[in-house]
Amino acid sequence: MTRNVSAELLILRKRAATWILLGIWTLLGVFFAYVVPYALDPEDSPVGLVEFLPESLAGNLIAGFPFFGGVFALMLGVFAVGSEYGWGTLKTLFTQRPTRLRVFAAKLAALGIVFVPFVLTLFAAGAVASYVIAQIEDAAVTWPSAWLLVRAMGAGWLILAAWGALGVLLGVVTRGTSLAIGVGILYALVIEGLLSAFADSVSALEPLTQIFLRANGYSIAAALGASVDSIESSGPGSYAGPFVDSVQALAVLGALIAGLVAASAFLLGRRDVA
Amino acid sequence: MTHVSDLVIETRALTKRYGDAIVAVDDLDLRVRRGEVYGFLGPNGAGKTTTLRMLLGLVRPTSGHATVLGAPPGSPRGLARVGALVEAPAFYPFLSGRDNLRVLARHAGVNEDRVEAVLAEVRLSERADDRSATYSLGMKQRLGVATALLKDPELLILDEPTNGLDPAGMAEMRQFMRSLGEGGRTLVLSSHLMGEIEQVSDRVGVIRDGSLVAEGTVEELRGRAGLRVRAAPLQEAARLLGALPTVERVTSVDDLLDVAVDTAQAPVINRALVEAGIAVSEIYPQKASLEDVFLELTTNGDQPS
Repeated sequence: MTRNVSAELLILRKRAATWILLGIWTLLGVFFAYVVPYALDPEDSPVGLVEFLPESLAGNLIAGFPFFGGVFALMLGVFAVGSEYGWGTLKTLFTQRPTRLRVFAAKLAALGIVFVPFVLTLFAAGAVASYVIAQIEDAAVTWPSAWLLVRAMGAGWLILAAWGALGVLLGVVTRGTSLAIGVGILYALVIEGLLSAFADSVSALEPLTQIFLRANGYSIAAALGASVDSIESSGPGSYAGPFVDSVQALAVLGALIAGLVAASAFLLGRRDVA
Repeated sequence: MTHVSDLVIETRALTKRYGDAIVAVDDLDLRVRRGEVYGFLGPNGAGKTTTLRMLLGLVRPTSGHATVLGAPPGSPRGLARVGALVEAPAFYPFLSGRDNLRVLARHAGVNEDRVEAVLAEVRLSERADDRSATYSLGMKQRLGVATALLKDPELLILDEPTNGLDPAGMAEMRQFMRSLGEGGRTLVLSSHLMGEIEQVSDRVGVIRDGSLVAEGTVEELRGRAGLRVRAAPLQEAARLLGALPTVERVTSVDDLLDVAVDTAQAPVINRALVEAGIAVSEIYPQKASLEDVFLELTTNGDQPS
């Protein structure tokens, strides 16, 4: 299995899209979490200047994962499997020795590994940005505890993994990338966004929204220090609740990952490869 | 009689349907023996590629049974000993030829030393570090063959390996395929090109509308030689020859007679015609080409005589 995973990592490492997405993700992540709100006026922030200082690093950055980060992870997930249909390389892979499920498991493992630098790079860039702001404002530099940072990074990875699993399923279902990304973004923006918004007035929707990636991702983010006021006012990815218990959110995300992966594996294993 | 263990590929009533209307492969019984070059011949859309995909586990049969090297199609045990190139070769366009092979070697559990060996074998070493997207069609085909050879397989399945190649590339590929078939390796070669199959194959199976309509050596398929006779008056010559006990059949082809008879009977035929006052201007042995047989099999549906 190690060699299968290393084969998949070689593909991801040499693929320009991986590095382009990592670069855009890091730049935009810092831009929207620090540069834009700070440049506008830090006092306009629901929490104030403290949101941009090192002590709020974990909460400020994790708030970007459930939607903004999710879309990036969705694209990576789609690319990981959907591109194989476009290139016709699945038939080449499936006529080597390993079973289809083994190849799929290697792809998932490689994708999971690739999410690690995505999380680490953003946290590193965010740390630099918060430090610079603290220096500009002549504020005290107080870093969050290592335990909080580890939990935040772990949660960030889990949220990306859940969206990535959705991308993988969409790539398998549509046997390609374009439609999969379109449907994925439509789901993120329209289905989760609108239904979550309507849940305020239609109580019957509330149980449904509680299994959404967005609801559970933001619930974890809030538990790790993300400002609920900021989450509610963060543009197209905003979320006004309901927030669920963080343990429940972790369990739901884990179950969603398992379900999405199982559905993908079933389809990939059963369907003919043209 | 062929011993079961000598069969590298065996299918029984293998069938693939798409919905109710399309039968891509219909009740196919195929037997490929160890060490032979088996030509799988059929027009486009006859079911060749679907059959090969089923043998590789890429497509699930609707019914029937198949074994490849004694294992179910697509099983790791079988695939470890099979190399395949199905239709157009497919690679990661952003990876070099060498990296594409490294990826596949790692998946196949093959030592990466094999990568350099197969690159040399298909004469791609010099361009191995270039992105595969920059390769010509001929180079992509060669990289596809390198992929198939990576596991040093007992069985090679090549589907239309000369597709898209120029005449020089086709000649080169044919020569290469002949060398692949040497040394005890079994080669299944699918094509709709008669010359390719005729020059390379030990045995040939002809498929039409998903069914095997003929199978045998090229010589067997071409049938026995007969005689072609140009004589006048033609109808009287045909009637006379048809009455001879050694002649199986006489058919008129344009202004010639196609006489199904042992070619050693040519002097007897000639004498009979001349003694009957029929002018004989030409008499020569004639054997059907594989192309004639193929066209007959894949258009009329008749078995060769």
